[in-house]
Amino acid sequence: MIIKVKDLVKRYDDLVALDHLSLSVREGEIFGLLGPNGSGKTTAINCILSLLEYDKGEIEVFDKPMTPESYDIKRQIGIVMQNVAVYNELTVYENIDYFCGLYVQDKTLRKRYVDEAIEFVELGDYTKFYPKKLSGGLLRRLNIACGIAHKPKLIILDEPTVGVDPQSRNRILEGIVELNKQGVTIVYTSHYMEEVEQICTRIVIIDKGKAIAAGTKDELKKMISMGEKITVETYGISPEQLSTLKKLPNILSVQYNGNSRLLIIKSKEGENNLETVLDFIKREGIQYGKIYSELPTLNDVFLEITGKDLRD
Amino acid sequence: MFAHIFRYRLKCLLRDRETIFWTLVFPLILAVLFNMAFSNLNKVEGFSPIDIAVVDNRQYQEDQYFKMTLKEVSQGDDRLFNLVVVSEDEANKLLNENSIAGYIVVEDSVKLVVNQTGIEQSIIKSFLDNYIQTLSAVNSILTLNPAGGQELFNELGNRYQYIREVPIAKAEPNNILLYFYSLIAMACLYGSFFGMREINDTQPNITPLAARINTAPVHKLKLFIYSMSASILIHITEIFILLLFLRFVINVDFGTRTVYVILTAIVGSVVGNAFGAFISATVKKDENLKIGISICVSMVGSFLSGMMYQNMKYIVAKKMPLLSYLNPVNLLTDAFYCLYYYDSLEKYALNMSILLIFILAFCSGIYLMVRRRKYASI
Repeated sequence: MIIKVKDLVKRYDDLVALDHLSLSVREGEIFGLLGPNGSGKTTAINCILSLLEYDKGEIEVFDKPMTPESYDIKRQIGIVMQNVAVYNELTVYENIDYFCGLYVQDKTLRKRYVDEAIEFVELGDYTKFYPKKLSGGLLRRLNIACGIAHKPKLIILDEPTVGVDPQSRNRILEGIVELNKQGVTIVYTSHYMEEVEQICTRIVIIDKGKAIAAGTKDELKKMISMGEKITVETYGISPEQLSTLKKLPNILSVQYNGNSRLLIIKSKEGENNLETVLDFIKREGIQYGKIYSELPTLNDVFLEITGKDLRD
Repeated sequence: MFAHIFRYRLKCLLRDRETIFWTLVFPLILAVLFNMAFSNLNKVEGFSPIDIAVVDNRQYQEDQYFKMTLKEVSQGDDRLFNLVVVSEDEANKLLNENSIAGYIVVEDSVKLVVNQTGIEQSIIKSFLDNYIQTLSAVNSILTLNPAGGQELFNELGNRYQYIREVPIAKAEPNNILLYFYSLIAMACLYGSFFGMREINDTQPNITPLAARINTAPVHKLKLFIYSMSASILIHITEIFILLLFLRFVINVDFGTRTVYVILTAIVGSVVGNAFGAFISATVKKDENLKIGISICVSMVGSFLSGMMYQNMKYIVAKKMPLLSYLNPVNLLTDAFYCLYYYDSLEKYALNMSILLIFILAFCSGIYLMVRRRKYASI
């Protein structure tokens, strides 16, 4: 195990930020820590990095207890903070070189690493720019470059795509997958389920400081009863028709929003769910427009376990 | 590792225009303004002849003694008065126009007409009183001893001094210097901006940048010391630039003890940097409050050391002497003045010792705060 967290408890006065949190990160995986804002993701990361005091629990990184003086362990970790952490007075190149230099003493080797990091995040045209001149997306890429330039074995990214344009976000996610293919273990925290679903091999869902579910995305989706979600754009449906629809086989819940005119049907996993619903709509003469069928998302997992959406 | 951190720290700080302005440019601007405001204060102590008039009437023309006396004191380079002899109407007109400080009318007695009180009017009156007393004395003596006339007139011009001025040092007292010395002391304490920045960039509970740095495999105290070295180097250089500017452009006299002046500047810079770092490490509020505290302490300290009102320094020394020793700006100002004015280094050594105690106290506080490895919250 690269990271082992056992029974971690962290309190801020009366608020329990981490409530007996346990998780483990295996070598070579992209580990996702998914949870809404305020769920304890960043607190957990800061405890793992020995920046924060915690009240109880054990943390091991690379099979050794993690302390502020664990310089051997720190040498192998790269961190990309949630907030951009670069010097405004240094250029792009100088920032990356400075932070890389805290890990790599050899000048020749460091220069190579810095050049590779710049190429990796595609900031070659901006090496002489100061951070204030960069857009949000480019700034995030610089933030990443500063955290990965020294080629660590473990990279922790704490919500690295906040406030970033879609193009930059995709590039960042592609870059993370690429790093993982090179053998780097990644810990990725986010409240965007789409990102976590896209890149993470194993996911822990966290809420109110507790791990509420863990596994691959398929394993997590199998944890919930919902197997399919069908959305129908319809111009009107009576309560009796809704009641009858709910009694059809495999149907778990039916919900109609008059404002958006969307009928949302959640059903168990099954082969003919869409056909069953379509037959009913035609039989009842309900006028409809578009129809979508989708598999459950991590948000659905979160919703079923906690009763609220990830973005609430 | 030292060279890497030191080099990049120098770059960071030298490119921080705001801090460079307040620690270098602002004191230079103040020095120029001080020079413009205070350079004439010394010249004012020199004496300029007073413009007066005397009414040209019959009594004045008949009083040869008075006429002769007035003429004597109104001629030559060291004359007391610039005298004009005019009619009474014209004298009134000149007085109303403030062209003269007052005019003299010789009637039964000698009268002085003025329209305001001031030092010039006091001098004219003092002259007239002296003339009247001397005339009265001469008349009395001649009445009693007519033969002693020649000897009397010989002695009239002699004035005996029974006290003499003994300087306590080789240098001449110069009140203007205190303003410039307190300016240097204030500039030294402005090093607190650098010190504050050092703590902000190494404490993860203050900035995310510091959080990143704390995850690096570098001993935090070493990192702080390496970075602080760069800050102190830059600030000391700025103080030296200020000293050179004051010495060779403004012509401020620092005396002959150049080495001690440089030493004082170095100690002052370290005090300023350490003070800023101490404030930043101990005050657990936002950056604006810390800057406010730093500026407040510097400006109040400067005021109490006489930078804005010279006598304040002496008021504090007399009424609250302990405050004088607790004010680093005052200690530095005094140290510079001691080097300029006094032969003995005793008071200078006392001031420097107290400043070193300040440095130790600040560094101890910084160490206790910086060495903390983990934080309750970030």
